[in-house]
Amino acid sequence: MTPSPSLTVRVGSLTLRNPVLVASGIIGYGIEYERLVDLSAIGGIVTKTVTRHARAGNPPPRVVETPAGMLNSIGIENPGLEGFLELKVPILRELPCAVIVSVEGEDVREFCELVEGVSGSGVAHAIEVNISCPNVGPHGLRYSTDADMAREVMSAIRPLTRLPLIAKLTPNVTRIAEIAVACESCGADAVSLVNTFVGMAVDSRTRKPILGTVVGGLSGPAIKPLALAKVWEVVQAVDVPVIGMGGITHPRDAIEFLLVGSTAVQVGTALFSNPELAEACVAEIEAYARRAEVPSVADLIGALDVPAERGMIRAGKIL
Amino acid sequence: MNLVGCSVVENREITPGNFLLTLKVPRGFARPEPGQFVHLRVSPESEPLLRRPYSLEGFVERGKIRAVRIYYSVVGRGSRVLASQPKGQELDLIGPLGLGFTPRPRRAPILVAGGRGVAPLLFFARRLREKKRPFLFLFGARSARELYGVREIRGGRIHLATDDGSVGYHGSVLDLLKQQWEAGEHTRLTAEIFTCGPHGLLHEVAAFAGELGIRCEASLEGPMACAVGACRGCPVPLLSGADGDGGRYPAMCIEGPVMDATIVDWERLP
Repeated sequence: MTPSPSLTVRVGSLTLRNPVLVASGIIGYGIEYERLVDLSAIGGIVTKTVTRHARAGNPPPRVVETPAGMLNSIGIENPGLEGFLELKVPILRELPCAVIVSVEGEDVREFCELVEGVSGSGVAHAIEVNISCPNVGPHGLRYSTDADMAREVMSAIRPLTRLPLIAKLTPNVTRIAEIAVACESCGADAVSLVNTFVGMAVDSRTRKPILGTVVGGLSGPAIKPLALAKVWEVVQAVDVPVIGMGGITHPRDAIEFLLVGSTAVQVGTALFSNPELAEACVAEIEAYARRAEVPSVADLIGALDVPAERGMIRAGKIL
Repeated sequence: MNLVGCSVVENREITPGNFLLTLKVPRGFARPEPGQFVHLRVSPESEPLLRRPYSLEGFVERGKIRAVRIYYSVVGRGSRVLASQPKGQELDLIGPLGLGFTPRPRRAPILVAGGRGVAPLLFFARRLREKKRPFLFLFGARSARELYGVREIRGGRIHLATDDGSVGYHGSVLDLLKQQWEAGEHTRLTAEIFTCGPHGLLHEVAAFAGELGIRCEASLEGPMACAVGACRGCPVPLLSGADGDGGRYPAMCIEGPVMDATIVDWERLP
């Protein structure tokens, strides 16, 4: 029998025991899913996004199922930085996996305060900088739809922590690679993508939008081909690790993201239906590596077999 | 609460569009309380994407066999797919979840059911009977044929209401409640109300209870994604100042589905 393939991957200075994470907004702070997900079997979790001040979130309805997808407009309901430090950090400290804390500020100063606060808590193995939530009002997508503003945030927070910084990107842009390159050039250790696609659902019977906020973010298997294309575009534009996500529903979907060039993956919406999905992805990645007879999962990252003259994309242009 | 496999024992259409589903669950499934729910995968396929939350109509234990019962109506994609699941079909569910009914000692429980909202109240009535606590059960529906389960209620007094007058009081169950209350048998200090049904009805019952200062719990319904308090997708709007904080949204899945009806802002609850 061949030795077990190594599943460890590196994201900046963080070593993950395997490349499977649970995405932000899915698993709360881990404890909510304590009895449903074996956290010791997965690489880590990304927390619900922490904002500078507590947020009650958006009015209902906040979720609606759409064909092969889910629209949400949660609005980052969270206890704010002080509440996070007091209530959530003690919980996170006990988790048997890597903890990546997601933060989002309304302006650069808030991003700085969040990064300092989270970094100082000692609980985070990395920080995911959420510059891409579509559900927090007019400012929501500002920082990840404008390369200059993304640079501004990343440059300001980079000197404040030694933790790996992961910039989470929105797909709601024409050239996502430009934003990724901007984040990389300002010290991001990795980029993660995609956040949700802006979407809308309408009830023709009542003539009303279904979500309380009219529009929200689309996730689920419907977005997987869109997400793979965005990851493919970014992978070719940056040298830092890319963490891929968007619609992973079956374990083999995780393999697809690795082949396209993701160093790690995040599972999201489908975990609601199948709480064992993240563990199943780990098992599938190991089995796939074994079948491929490679010593390490690293050998699968970007191993997509694309004819040399095709498929090269730089900054959104097919060369 | 656990994720457990389950299998369809029976999935029977009782009246057009209304089904009684019996699911065998393993012994690892904890005994549920009336008012609690399960988050059910309605199909072995990946469509629909999300689970559906269903209050339990009952919990059956015979020897080593355990089963949960769900009374549901076909109202959308999830319930339509569920209705097509044959006997023997393997599914899975997360549960039992949420907070159930919490009757106070020495208070007379008045159960107010509207339509298929009767489901958790049937479970509750059975539990009250086991505890030898008498209750008053008021049940309203559009017509006599929709009065599901009424013949099996034991241990309490039952009054029925139908919109078409085909049986019982001709009118709404709210008016029936008012009529019963005016009979003067109960006061706000001796009775309490438990209700489940369309949110419009719950709103009216809550307003009646609130006005008279009667303790009132309602079992709510709504879409849920995780059902374990993580995603914050099922917020319940509260009246301003209620529970000390009108700006807070409790999650229906873990702070409900049974909640104090008099603090819910029904105008803002879909």
